[in-house]
Formats: sequence, C-alpha cells, structure tokens
Amino acid sequence: MTKRHDIRAQFVACVTDYKDDFYRLAYSYVKNQQDALDIVQDAIQKGLQALERLEKMDSMKSWFYKIVVRTAIDFLRKHKRVTVMDDDTLDYLQSGAEDHYEDIDLHEALERLPIEYRTIIVLRYFEDLKIDAIAEIVDENVNTVKTRLYRGLKLLRIEITEGTVHE
Amino acid sequence: MNKKLHELREEYKNIPIPVELDKLVTEALHEKPKKKRFVWPMTSVAAATVFVASVNLSPAAADTLSKIPGVKELVEVVTFEEVHDGKGTTKIDVATPKVSGLENQTLENNINADYQATTEKLYQEYKQQKGHFAVASDYKTITDHHGILSIEQTILHVQASGYEQKRYVTLDTKNEALITLPSLFKDTSYIEVISEEIIRQMHAQMKADDNKIYFVNPEQEPVDVFKSIHKNQQFYINDKGKLVISFDEYDVAPGYMGAVQFVIPTKVIQSILVGDRYIR
Repeated sequence: MTKRHDIRAQFVACVTDYKDDFYRLAYSYVKNQQDALDIVQDAIQKGLQALERLEKMDSMKSWFYKIVVRTAIDFLRKHKRVTVMDDDTLDYLQSGAEDHYEDIDLHEALERLPIEYRTIIVLRYFEDLKIDAIAEIVDENVNTVKTRLYRGLKLLRIEITEGTVHE
Repeated sequence: MNKKLHELREEYKNIPIPVELDKLVTEALHEKPKKKRFVWPMTSVAAATVFVASVNLSPAAADTLSKIPGVKELVEVVTFEEVHDGKGTTKIDVATPKVSGLENQTLENNINADYQATTEKLYQEYKQQKGHFAVASDYKTITDHHGILSIEQTILHVQASGYEQKRYVTLDTKNEALITLPSLFKDTSYIEVISEEIIRQMHAQMKADDNKIYFVNPEQEPVDVFKSIHKNQQFYINDKGKLVISFDEYDVAPGYMGAVQFVIPTKVIQSILVGDRYIR
C-alpha cells in the first residue's frame, strides 16, 4: 500500500480512537449535542480533504485538534456567538474580577472567558496537551500561550503557582 | 492539580457522549474526500466487445507492422476534450482521453469512440440530475514501458456519498493490440488462481493492519463476500511487468478503502501464462 494509504489509515485510526475527546472539545464551544456532532462531522471532512495535501506530520492527534478548534470557532463566528476580546478589555475585566464575580460559580466563570483563553485552558488542563502542542494548535507562540493561560487562570481566580502554568 | 481546576476538568470529562457519535464518525470517515475526481462507466459488456474486436485484429496488424520498422508514430494518449459545467448544486468535470499514433485505425477508433461515448453518457447523467450531484472523470497513463501502455480512467459519481470506479485500457504498442485478461492466459483457470491469491492477500492485509477491511469473511459480513474475480475483471500491467487487479469502490471493501488493487506475484500465475512478453 502507498504512503497516502498509510496516512489515511492513520487518520481513520486516530479519529476513531479519540472521537470522544474530539466531541467533548467541540461540545465545550457550542454547548449542545447537535451542533457538536455537526462540528465533528465537518472537521472529519476537512481533515480528509487536507490529508490529500499533507506531506508529513508529527502528531496526527494535535493536527486534528487544530481542525476541530478552528471548525468550532468558525461555527461560533458564523452564528455570532463569539466576540473577540482584546487584551486591554481583558485587563479591565481582570482588575474587577475579584469584586464582581464573587458569586458566580466556576463553571460559569469558564464560560465567560474569551474564547482564546478558554481554548487554551481546555487544551492544557482537560485534554492534557503540552504548551508547545497548544501553541501549534492555536497558531501562537509559546509565550503568548503561557500569558493567556496565566491570565485565564487569574480570571477564574484560580490560585497560580509556578507549576500550574508551566510543565 | 489545583482543586478548582480539577472540578472543572471532572465536569468537562463528564460531558455525555451521544450514541450517534459512533455512527456519525464512521460514516464521515468512510466518505471519500469531496475533491475533484474522475469517472468511467463503461459496462463490462461494452468493454468486452472492444476487446474481442481488437484481439481478433491484432495478429494481422502485428504482421504488417513488423515489415515496416521505424515508420510508426509514437503511440500516446492526449486529452481529446474537456467538459466543465456547473449549475447550482450539480457539477461536471470530465476529461476525455484519446489514443493517437496507432497504425491500427480500427483499434484506435474503437477505443476513442468508447471514451467519447462515456463522456456523452456522463454528460447526459449530469443534465438529468437535480439536487446535489457531481460527476468527474479523469485519466492518466500508468504504464508506458516495454511496449505496454496502460491507461487508467477514474470515474467518480458524488451524490451524498461518492462512488469511484476505475477502468483500464492496456495496449501492446508494438503489436498494436488491446490486451485482455483472458488473452494473457492459456485457459480459464486464471480466474480461480487469481481469486485465491487475492483472498490470501486480503486476509494477510487485515491481519497486519486493523484499519483494513475486506468483504471476505462470510461469518463477519452480512452481505456478499468476495469469492471470485470476473473473467474480464479490470486490470493493468504495472511498470515492473506485474499484473494488477482492480476493484471499484464498495466491490470488495467498505467505501473508505476506495477502489482497491492487488498486485499478483508473477510466480503465482507463471505456469498458466501464455508467455512472458507482457507479465514478468
């Protein structure tokens, strides 16, 4: 069999093995079953198409996470459920976090996080990915990822120790 | 891990997985990428007609040609015409091949007429379709070596999911003859010999790789399992002189395997081959 077949077989195996993870990730964006299923389906189609052009890859799983994240964010944009927040706005929110968000629960606090921050927290702490893999997935450099992770955790008022953000 | 983070993680990991996920993932994975592809729905009956005509013609053609060495044009495959059209959700992209340079005009005309008839048929199919439908066809020369020319034509019909077919024309360019599968062998025992070899390869591949599935185990497949090749099964001769047997998508394997092919080791068929000129 050709190399192309091998990559395809690898892709089929990866998606099949980790489909639950990919589904949960999609669900974490849209919060409903039907949309999450649509995103998974859409991401698989995109993956299959991209596979044809793929020369090599280090990690099939990270690569597909990237597709799922992008598909989910695209979906939210299309449905106008996402607003991009700049760092200044976030600084402002962050300064008031302690005062205003006393009562909301942790879950809600996570939902309120800007999508760029939430994605990184989910990938780091729920999907257990390493910082450099996350940097690859969100197309940012490692320092930006660390900064966002730090800010995100602060917004959640999660106590940060050196070990929390770094490996 | 921090306690709050741990709580959030637990909550995340408890997102229920819907029962539909399994089926949806399997189906999505088994669909062919919606990408430009190709098609060729010549029925095996039509194919057989051309084969018979050309095989009968070949000895005479071979004789004539051997007397006039060096005057022959280069036999080649060119694009005769391309059809591209689209309206709303239907689409057609077809490239019609044309064989040129054969002294044997009857053979050349027969092959080209079939190629053109296919394009016409695909165009009619396209014109009559409403809703989501795409048809694409393309060709390539896979072997042009040691006097053997193998042309592969791939035809894809996409209607919700895709159906891929591959059709081959293999020519002996020295003797200007169309090579058919039966013409390669002394008798019809090749059907059984090749079928057994393919079944052996299917089992071996499935054993080596869990991702591969062929319809070959009667106890595991609710549908018909592969038992035997057709006497005019699609085939070509690769550039190493090996016989390659081809199946359309869904014929012997699930859709995600695509159109599948098996290289038959020459030693398996050596004793029943007519000669060693084509297959080595």
